[in-house]
Amino acid sequence: MGALILSLLVLTLIKATPIIYAALGGVLSERSGVINIGLEGMMAIGAFTAVIVSYATRQPLLGILAGIAAGALLGYVLGVAATRFKVDQIVAGMGINLICAGGAAYGLVLIFNQPGASAQVPALGRHYGVLVALAFVAALVLQWLLTRTPWGLRVRACGENPAALASAGIDPLAMRLAAVTLSGALAGLGGAFLSLGELNLYSDGMTAGRGFIALAAVIFGRWNPLGATAACVVFGLFEALQYVLQGRIAWLPADAMQALPYLAALFALAGITGRVRAPASDGVPY
Amino acid sequence: MKLQRTLTGPAGAVLLLVLLMSLAMIVAGTSPIDGFTALFVGALGGTSQLGETLVATTALLFPALGIALAFRGGLFNIGAEGQLLIGALFAGAVGAQMHLPGVIGMALLLLLGAIGGGLWGAIAGWMKARFNANEIISTLMLNFVAAAISLALVSGPLKGPLATGAETAWLDQTYWLPTLLPGSRLSIGLLVALAFALVLQWLFSRTVFGYELRASGEAPEAARRAGIDIRRITWLSLALSGAIAGVGGATIVAGELHRFNTQLSPGYGFTAIAVALVGDLQPLWICLAAFGFGILEAGGLAMQASAQVPKDAIHVIEGLIILVLAARRYVTTRIEPAAE
Repeated sequence: MGALILSLLVLTLIKATPIIYAALGGVLSERSGVINIGLEGMMAIGAFTAVIVSYATRQPLLGILAGIAAGALLGYVLGVAATRFKVDQIVAGMGINLICAGGAAYGLVLIFNQPGASAQVPALGRHYGVLVALAFVAALVLQWLLTRTPWGLRVRACGENPAALASAGIDPLAMRLAAVTLSGALAGLGGAFLSLGELNLYSDGMTAGRGFIALAAVIFGRWNPLGATAACVVFGLFEALQYVLQGRIAWLPADAMQALPYLAALFALAGITGRVRAPASDGVPY
Repeated sequence: MKLQRTLTGPAGAVLLLVLLMSLAMIVAGTSPIDGFTALFVGALGGTSQLGETLVATTALLFPALGIALAFRGGLFNIGAEGQLLIGALFAGAVGAQMHLPGVIGMALLLLLGAIGGGLWGAIAGWMKARFNANEIISTLMLNFVAAAISLALVSGPLKGPLATGAETAWLDQTYWLPTLLPGSRLSIGLLVALAFALVLQWLFSRTVFGYELRASGEAPEAARRAGIDIRRITWLSLALSGAIAGVGGATIVAGELHRFNTQLSPGYGFTAIAVALVGDLQPLWICLAAFGFGILEAGGLAMQASAQVPKDAIHVIEGLIILVLAARRYVTTRIEPAAE
């Protein structure tokens, strides 16, 4: 029993890690006033790019860095669309998700000559625990940055009242572009953890909605890095439960248990009614 | 800004599509001429090819119409994929068991699709109306729940006696929708979809509901002050949106596959978002857009087989089109019913 609980705890932290990175990205982006629906796709491309680079260089660490860079690039694209072209952020984010899922699938066929999954590549192996710990450190750092530094104050002002920020001589659009780019980098890192941390390959659909679960965690955590991280741990627990409970509850088939983390996110969304408030200019182009 | 307007118009979308497709072909080592030839021959080069294109058109048209309804009301329904799947599951599960005269049976299958998809959409609608739960995330989560539930049911209690994969038993042949184009798999489901487009066109432009929907989507605060019940519009539009996608799922079951299979949609519910946006949320333009995307879906498979260009390139291009079209404004202000 004790061993079971320990393995559940460890699995919970591992399953929470990629969602935490994405959710921190979501918090940062939304606090600056841009809704990043593209987190899911940025995770997918982060995971895919990490595998490709690790495959080419045999260096998993370079792969992780490349995954971060790829996520940042996509974040930059969404940021430019949201600031320079003032697009509908939701629609643009959905476009990015389709581009990423399709792009990774297209790349798999071109590079590995097979659809569905990549070959196995050098991965982090037992060192992946560092990235698990780093996720929690990143949450603390982001919390500190947002609440205790001038930069964080500007980001928050940007999401609440960008006009006021502009009248103080700071360009809200530049702030937003930086925030969304960083947000993409974090999502890319989350994706890279999935492919090179937990596993050693990329397969189509491996992000499995984690980018959207992360968005639910942002709301559940009330747009605070630490709150969102706590929510991610809860969602990670439900994902871990699914593995631990498999075969232990006779009447509940394993396929149905796959729904657990998504149901948890749904209940979380419904359970916080009226008690949360998004940044006032969240999703509103400036 | 003039450039931006040109690019976001229909001509710009087509131009962009051709350029990007060419690029995807060149990267894959195929000349665009060979690639496009393979694509168009594969999509339109014969009766069975045209039939497959129209099968894809039908499968995209239903969810795209549903998505357009929700978007018009200011609600981002990203759950058409799950709604379509649950609609198909209802039709397939009951259809495999029932004993009714043919025409009544067919009508009942489509109704079951509407009920299944409608219920699935209504869950998100109720959550939004009652708890102000973000519908973008809830509809998306429900896609995964739908996939898990249908897989569990169809690999277990609902699995057909002779099925090898996750499939229900065959529908009785009396319920198969009649073939529309002899020599192809195309069923009269296409006509049902076109009828839905006409009804929606009427609904949007000539009814009180259509007016209230548009008012809620474009100016929710003004709509609320004018006495429109935003909560009602919210759950009703998501339920209707899901119901239309669900009928689409039922036509795939009754029209082409003749049983429910968990793999029956290769992401129609997501491609349909692009279809609805390219069609500018207007039912008649959406019909045209669905045909265009039907060509890409059906032709993409042929292009992959004969010109070795991975068909996933098409999804990249769909995404880029959505990204460019996002510069048009669809929803000015999002509904916040709980703020009442």
